[in-house]
Amino acid sequence: MSIGLAKYWKLVVSALVIGMGGHAAAAPAVPGQELVRTYCSGCHRENSGSFERISAIRKTPEGWVMTLFRMRQVHGLVLEDAVHDSIVRYLADTQGLAPSESAAGRFALERRPNAQDMDLGPEISVMCGRCHSIARAALQRRDEEEWRKLAHTHVGQWTSIEYSASGRDRPWWQIASGPLPAKLAALYPLSTTAWTDWKALPARDLTGNWVVSGHMPGGKDFFGKARIDREEGGGYKAAYQLTDVTDFEFAGESKALVYTGYEWRGSAQVRDRSWREVYALSEDGNRLSGRWFDSEHAEEGGEWTAIREGGAAEVLALFPQSLRAGSTTLVTMVGNGLASTRGAPASFGDTAKVTVVQNEANRVRVLVKLAANATPGMRKVSTGGATGKVAVYTQIDQIDVVPAYAIARLGGGKAAPVAAQFEAMASTRLPNGELLPLGPMTADWTSIPFDAEAKRTEDFKYAGHFDARGRFLPSAAGPNPAREFSGDNVGNLTVVARATDGSRSVEGRGHLVVTVQRWITPPIY
Amino acid sequence: MELVRSLGSWAMGAAMAISATLALPLNASGAARAATPAADLLITGAKPDQLFIIDAATRSIRTEYHLAGANGQIFTIVTSPDQRIAYLLVDKMERILGIELATGREVFRADLSAPDERVKDFFALTVTPDGKELIAYELPTRLKPSEYIVEEPRFAVFRTDAGLAAKPVRSYPAPRRIHMLLMRPNGSTFYALGFDLYEYDVKTGKLLDTRGIQKWALADHSQPDLLAFWPVTEPTGVFTSPVYSELKKDDKGVPMTALMSLNLKSGELAYADFEPLSALIFSTVLSPDRSHAYGVYTTLTSVDMAGHRLEKRVPLDHTFYAVNVSTDGREIYVGGTNCDVGFYDAKTLAKNAILKLPGCSDQTLSTLRVIHDH
Repeated sequence: MSIGLAKYWKLVVSALVIGMGGHAAAAPAVPGQELVRTYCSGCHRENSGSFERISAIRKTPEGWVMTLFRMRQVHGLVLEDAVHDSIVRYLADTQGLAPSESAAGRFALERRPNAQDMDLGPEISVMCGRCHSIARAALQRRDEEEWRKLAHTHVGQWTSIEYSASGRDRPWWQIASGPLPAKLAALYPLSTTAWTDWKALPARDLTGNWVVSGHMPGGKDFFGKARIDREEGGGYKAAYQLTDVTDFEFAGESKALVYTGYEWRGSAQVRDRSWREVYALSEDGNRLSGRWFDSEHAEEGGEWTAIREGGAAEVLALFPQSLRAGSTTLVTMVGNGLASTRGAPASFGDTAKVTVVQNEANRVRVLVKLAANATPGMRKVSTGGATGKVAVYTQIDQIDVVPAYAIARLGGGKAAPVAAQFEAMASTRLPNGELLPLGPMTADWTSIPFDAEAKRTEDFKYAGHFDARGRFLPSAAGPNPAREFSGDNVGNLTVVARATDGSRSVEGRGHLVVTVQRWITPPIY
Repeated sequence: MELVRSLGSWAMGAAMAISATLALPLNASGAARAATPAADLLITGAKPDQLFIIDAATRSIRTEYHLAGANGQIFTIVTSPDQRIAYLLVDKMERILGIELATGREVFRADLSAPDERVKDFFALTVTPDGKELIAYELPTRLKPSEYIVEEPRFAVFRTDAGLAAKPVRSYPAPRRIHMLLMRPNGSTFYALGFDLYEYDVKTGKLLDTRGIQKWALADHSQPDLLAFWPVTEPTGVFTSPVYSELKKDDKGVPMTALMSLNLKSGELAYADFEPLSALIFSTVLSPDRSHAYGVYTTLTSVDMAGHRLEKRVPLDHTFYAVNVSTDGREIYVGGTNCDVGFYDAKTLAKNAILKLPGCSDQTLSTLRVIHDH
């Protein structure tokens, strides 16, 4: 079975016309419970408004999409996409996770590449985490009996689970059906005050103007505004007016649903590309943040934060994050309450001469001329009623390759390649010995063998190559007759980022494993 | 491949002198057996429904059958004692077919699953020496409308003359995680390989003996790892398999490869390390004179049974899962993956020939069997 990311996402945000908006918003045309009764109760018997299994589980929107995918794929459930979407919305709204409950696993919902999975100890790492992310379990809530039923589902569905590596070395079934369910129920119980409290809150209305900033590893940071409006049916539409740090202006638009009162799932068109948005609304309803990524290549994407325009004075973002002593730099600050007044001009501290170029409540641009003897270190910046921080340095002392360890996947057959995006993160060493982060910088990227075995098998020749922006593009998959044993184009590589700082060269290194395709790409790995 | 590499680097520098605590069973008379002229036929399966009979001498396809009941893949292949019928585990491990090799006619079919119970046989099946009964290992799951209920595994015994809607004539409880059944020549007991090596009475299902696999007998070693899907016991009546463990040495674990050897007739079970792990091996076969074991995965390996040592290793063109050996001991057959079967010289490990299977479908885990031309 191979299911692409795009197909899953089509299921998440395909039909936006039916729905409820917030978790306590107006009822849809056909109430969700009625749809569950019609489409699910044939197998999941109803008892006083509660449905066997279904009512004993809470999940994220992606979790419910995966459930319905399995019901369609494995159990022959037939339902139209619009009904599917309505059921997902109903279940995510009425049996979802509170913001505090989904916080630890958000990296999985946001499909962050090379994220470190949660650590719940060695037993759960092996019992659960050897096949899927631990976050997949941590983004569900069940009582003990229902966790035990999930163990039955696992063995009933995947016979090899007791035979595969790290399964056959222990009585997997006896553990999974014995002590493990109680442990999972203690960690992730069905009933929590967090959920009860969250469900009682009224839905926030996201309508209005928002100030946006974003970061795209290997790309250009950007800032601007978003206008969010209600759509018929309870969804939202957003219009973006954005500018990148090279002053290139671009627009975009998005259609989104908000599940569970805070889970923004958008489908955006920006610069002729299709993007997915996985954002969370803060509990006060004034901040929307998360990750956006290419609809076909989730590894390609970046950070996104938006705050309501007109809120408390705040520097949301400052570009660039660091200034060299003796330089003159155009600095952009975005946020709320930023416009400086005659009595309180924008300040970058001692030895910084500031010339205001643009002076608006949500955007201030200034030319900052730093004296050559400006003291290196983090310094406070103030403009209007807001304050921020900028790093001052005289030289770059260290480059860290981020992520320090990454995986890229070969593409082939029905599986698209998965690139690995690196950033060269610069630091300067302060007189007290501390390293001060300066932000990403441009570097030349190369790969070399990680060890003697990788050198012997010439992985660097086969595994792929870097582009100019620090992105490793893996090769095509498949037996390669030119390699030993007709091996795949896998590789074990050391990543080298080399940056120049004046006449000096600074180098950082990371580790990249180029491995085989991932055939199954569910919304939560 | 990554695994091989990392395991290989662990093994580097490890001492080569390993004191084996158990001797492998060597049949002194084995070497004196007269080698019969090779008239070997190979049997292998390929996706989605192909069963091939290959003439080893001419490296040609003798017969190709398309099995209507295979439904995707042919897993384990065992033959009747008279070698006229091949029993095949097919259809997502939920069906066993008996195919008459001379005609391709389906003479036996057992559908293990029922509408409310899904039953998978994880590779494990065997036939009694009189050919009258077939034993399957069943992993049942009760399918209720809104939940699965995992049930206790069992051995199910079928009469081979039960036709195309065979039902078990008896069944009895089995341990979890069994992956192979091996009939003993006495016909009254069979072995089941899983966490440990179990011996059962064919008639009563009584557990007669349990011997260590995970709780094995090699001192100073970690819990061993053995998983084998290829119940090859021809031509010697001895089943062999690689076993992986770590030798505890100076507070460090040195990954080792051992050979497990089980003589079905005598019941003799032995393990002995033969190398610090430097290549993965999926399956092995014992030479007719029992002097060598041959193993495959990315390499073809020859193990000196008397000296418990790696004798020779050559790279293969690609991964092969299944291995067998000619009746005269002169040639090694490799298969079980991709769409080719390889013929290698047993002494030099040199490649003699490669036969591409028509249609080039993947053999995916299929057993590579050797029978004799009648």
